[in-house]
Amino acid sequence: MVKIIVLVKQVFQTADLRVDRASKTIITQGVPRVISETDKNAMEEAVRIKEKHGGKITAVALGPPEAKEALREALAMGADEACLLTDPLFEGSDAHATANVLAAAVTKILEYDLILCGAYSEDLYAFQVGPRLAEVCNLPQITFVAKLTLEGDRVVAERDLENDRQVVEAKLPCLISVTREINEPRLPTLMAIMAASKKPTNTWSAADLKLEAGELGFNGSLIEVLRSTVSAGERKRVTLQGEPNEIAPKLVKALIEEGVLKA
Amino acid sequence: MSSQEYNGVWVFSESPQLMLELLSKGRKLADELGTELASVAVGDLDPQKLIQHGADKVFAVSQPELKAFQVDTYTDVFESLFGERRPAILLIGATRNGLEFAPRLAERLKTGCVTEATKLELDAEKKFLLVDRVTWGGNLTETHISKAKPQIATVARGLYTPLPADSSRKGEVVKAEPKFKPPSTKIVETRPKEAKGVKVTDAATVVSFGRGVRKKEDMALIEQLAKTMGGVVSCSRPIAEDLRWLPVDQYVGLSGQKVNPKLYLAVGISGQIQHLTGIRGSRIIVAINNDPKAPIFEFSDYNIVADLYQMVPALMDAVKQLGKS
Repeated sequence: MVKIIVLVKQVFQTADLRVDRASKTIITQGVPRVISETDKNAMEEAVRIKEKHGGKITAVALGPPEAKEALREALAMGADEACLLTDPLFEGSDAHATANVLAAAVTKILEYDLILCGAYSEDLYAFQVGPRLAEVCNLPQITFVAKLTLEGDRVVAERDLENDRQVVEAKLPCLISVTREINEPRLPTLMAIMAASKKPTNTWSAADLKLEAGELGFNGSLIEVLRSTVSAGERKRVTLQGEPNEIAPKLVKALIEEGVLKA
Repeated sequence: MSSQEYNGVWVFSESPQLMLELLSKGRKLADELGTELASVAVGDLDPQKLIQHGADKVFAVSQPELKAFQVDTYTDVFESLFGERRPAILLIGATRNGLEFAPRLAERLKTGCVTEATKLELDAEKKFLLVDRVTWGGNLTETHISKAKPQIATVARGLYTPLPADSSRKGEVVKAEPKFKPPSTKIVETRPKEAKGVKVTDAATVVSFGRGVRKKEDMALIEQLAKTMGGVVSCSRPIAEDLRWLPVDQYVGLSGQKVNPKLYLAVGISGQIQHLTGIRGSRIIVAINNDPKAPIFEFSDYNIVADLYQMVPALMDAVKQLGKS
């Protein structure tokens, strides 16, 4: 029986995010919160492993109280129990401080053979928490995994690299980060959604994890965000008018003059 | 340790091309700081080549176990090489290997790391590296600083141009035998992905399509256009990840490939910020979309409000006409 922890991050649906240009902040009001895509793949992979080998899946989320919603979804997908790490002291944590809190939860309270997570989160694309957590817990890590097999006490994972596919083995316990290619996450059935509400969800604060304020949030972070600017590209924005057969030659001429199309 | 004890700029990538690009930026930063630029040559990489492209000092590591990148051995190696001589700045190539390596090493050294940097500069007092990165689904660019050193940043391909090789440049090659523990993972096999011609990240012309293309069969139209224009086909994220019409390594966006062609044609792509972030490096962007309100038109050089099913054949005709004249 393999004990699996799946790290689930709740993010705002990025496609719906807009910027307030004056304050240079993100408008999150009314934007749905969802499980970050690759974390869903990690959750699905855990369920598939359990279906084949048996085991227990614990979904862990670090975030505001609202992140409970993401955990409910993870439970509906097939997690056996969930664990919400929430505390105002966690707010403003960077990847280092986040990994520190997760490490406290997985080492001080939970048991595991395998930690699964997405290779990146949908909102920040930092690629950091998985490797940092593996380092704190002194675990082997295999990242960007597109195919995973459990064989006894070891995993065989196929990494998707720029030019190569790389097959890597590691003994349990280890940490695996997955890409979206690894599987197609299931949509929970109504039965599963109803059953999820009966599954246990524990909530732990900094005090429960025996963490001090100095190692949390902004104080515990190694990165400081100095300023934000609204992303914008400076482009010509020339509109070509007319019927397609009138526009086409105009465009071709313009592209030749730009030196980006060879005559 | 006080900040005076941190010295030098180091760069590293297991990708030889990216290494040269990092050396170019590293050289600039080292000159501004009045310090040296160091790098690490593992395996077959010729240390002299790194010197010719800007390094002052190259640590040549030849232990056979280190030939292939592995995250835990390389983390040990860099920890060992740094020893007491902690650099002020370390730039790492943002390949997928680099992206699993940089945060792990940063955690080992208890320092900050900024991944996928889009801009690197020094603050006025030259104490900190200011690193820009795109965040929040591409909506904001944030400037980060690391409160600890070395300040680590990962840099993607194509951001900097290698310096020309200068065979008269002098540098120091230090033969090093860094310590490392046996790896906790084993590489069983590394096989090249099936060749699919020119990659979207290398192409001078990229013809990309999105949900404006209604059926999978209609992709043929886009492929013909790409062929006519001498380019390669790419797509937006939903085409690869939701519809799975093309492999995931062929979609362009914040989470996909970041391209920097001379010419980028966005056909039937609405222009989600996620996509726009991947095409920022393009020299000229042409957008074809039947919705005049499509966000892509805010970020393009040439805007064509038209039905792609009429516009694409017309454009192919015009390009073919050109060949005849």
